[in-house]
Amino acid sequence: MFELSTHIPGPKQLHEIDLTAYDALYLGDFTCPLYPGNFSRHIDTLALGVERVKSMGKRCYLSLYAIPKDSDLVWIKELLRGAQGLPLDGVEVHNMGLLETVREILGDIPIHLGVFGNLYTHETARVLKGYGVERVFPNAELSLEELIYIRDNSPVQVVVPVHGKIPLAISGTCFVTDYTGQVPTNCEESCSQGHWLTHEDWQLKSIGRANLSGKDLCMLEYLDRLIRSDLNLFYIYTLGETGTYVETIGKIYREALHKAQSGEESCTERWLDQSRSLSQSGLCNGFYFGVSGQEYLSPHALSQTA
Amino acid sequence: MAKLMAPGGTRRMAFSVLEAGADTVYVGVRGWSRRGSDTELTDAEVRDLCAAARAQGKHVRVVLNTMPSSEEVPLLLKKVDMYAGWGVSGFMISDIGSMVQVRSHFPDITIHVSVGAGLSNALEVRFYHDLGASVVILPYRMGIEDVRAIKRSIDVSLEVFLFRTENLDGIVCPGKCTMSSYFSSNRWLDHEGKDYFYGSANRGGDCLRVCQVGWEATADEREIDGKFGLKGNPKLWLQELSDYVQAGVDYFKVPGRDRSDELVRDIVRFYRKVVDDLETFPTDEVVTQYAPELEELKKRWASERRRRDDRLVARAKA
Repeated sequence: MFELSTHIPGPKQLHEIDLTAYDALYLGDFTCPLYPGNFSRHIDTLALGVERVKSMGKRCYLSLYAIPKDSDLVWIKELLRGAQGLPLDGVEVHNMGLLETVREILGDIPIHLGVFGNLYTHETARVLKGYGVERVFPNAELSLEELIYIRDNSPVQVVVPVHGKIPLAISGTCFVTDYTGQVPTNCEESCSQGHWLTHEDWQLKSIGRANLSGKDLCMLEYLDRLIRSDLNLFYIYTLGETGTYVETIGKIYREALHKAQSGEESCTERWLDQSRSLSQSGLCNGFYFGVSGQEYLSPHALSQTA
Repeated sequence: MAKLMAPGGTRRMAFSVLEAGADTVYVGVRGWSRRGSDTELTDAEVRDLCAAARAQGKHVRVVLNTMPSSEEVPLLLKKVDMYAGWGVSGFMISDIGSMVQVRSHFPDITIHVSVGAGLSNALEVRFYHDLGASVVILPYRMGIEDVRAIKRSIDVSLEVFLFRTENLDGIVCPGKCTMSSYFSSNRWLDHEGKDYFYGSANRGGDCLRVCQVGWEATADEREIDGKFGLKGNPKLWLQELSDYVQAGVDYFKVPGRDRSDELVRDIVRFYRKVVDDLETFPTDEVVTQYAPELEELKKRWASERRRRDDRLVARAKA
């Protein structure tokens, strides 16, 4: 069995998007506490969100702000205290300062280390296990080989992002307000727009406090290899995407993973075309094959270079 | 009294900063620091430097702050063992697992948590201290109030950069950025089996400064006027130095392993005088006396930064 998960930042997405493709949802936008309706900022919103996710029969994780300053720790602790008793299946933490705080307030709830937790080695995974970390998103720069090494040589589960725009950088301030000089009338309006950064043929997407890859990570052609490697926790990056994107990509991967698991022939070409049609800048393999993150290698090209 | 740490990006720079008054020189070693090999020393150079520093009663810190691959951790420990044997008393490290291994194998060594760890709050400082870190290097987005708060709550030595960003962080946190390797990466193994990732500061190659190229922005097809750098550039500072001394900062760190030997030597000489004078004279007098000299150094710093960024960006585009 596998688990397919993604982040859902707020109630709007949770109510408006068809999320049947996903087995588990991380509630909250870990990049910005000011994101409109952010599940990981307001306990009332979170409580209703958790109730809805559980009623859908899915696993539900809370995702905490990735780079809290001391002043942020105050409201994060309040949020965690409010979350006591909620049927959460885990808490995603990107910041080492929050590890003990989560355990103090929520007991031995499983902790998932987020992508900005900078996990590169199995030795780090071993240390973090002692702090309650059960599952890790390795740093995006790691190759598939390194992910598998960490899985095989540490006591944690390893999540494998398979699609979407890779988080590349994060800040404590917002690109939109700081750099454009245009103070948005409200974050709702600003965050509903797509912000792109371009330099010659380079492209990045900004979601305010974080920069994402311009191209979409796509591992459709490699799912059989991932399944053969006994990887089973798959994740799709969807922060900043439209409802159509979240639904369509989720359904493609749900079906593709089922087929890969059962050894059935897949419809890779059709799925790739659908994925390309949803990507503004094309597809890439991220850092999985030891080259720069924006390249796309077909399995044929990869076997030639291997 | 706070110690002055200075960079040794080249053999010549390393020796000259000691002569200019640094208490400690920090050096990257090939493949293991967040700068490219242009500004790292060979093992033989580190050994010579250790002997010279020891003769002057000074210290050498070795920067091993890349995020290693899992399989490189034993090689990192081997390196620590060798450098410690030559008299290196402290290491700057980013990876948590490596840090714990180094502490376990070398209980008497000073471990500095590198800026590459990307700390953001006092609880995180405590986390690293509990794991055995002796010194924590604070990111330059933390201010004097953060220093005071940490010093009040945790018995840990603090190291701060002698430069700071003003107001804006930019959309890059030090130690939490992979934009450079997303656009450009080159990987090879050296004779010891060290895996180089040129294009990734995190993994042992230079950051190629793609944040500085002048990005054009659009919001839903609407262009936004201007070109934007994605990271605030820190500037050398003077005014706040006295406050940091009083707050109990243990190490002041001169940046610049990738700057010219002459500029770094002059900056170290400058801060040596300032730190010493602050012990004797009122802050206002010291600041007034040294402000013009700082302005000249800032100009040279900015000019060298532009040249460096252009050079690295050109490599990213090659």
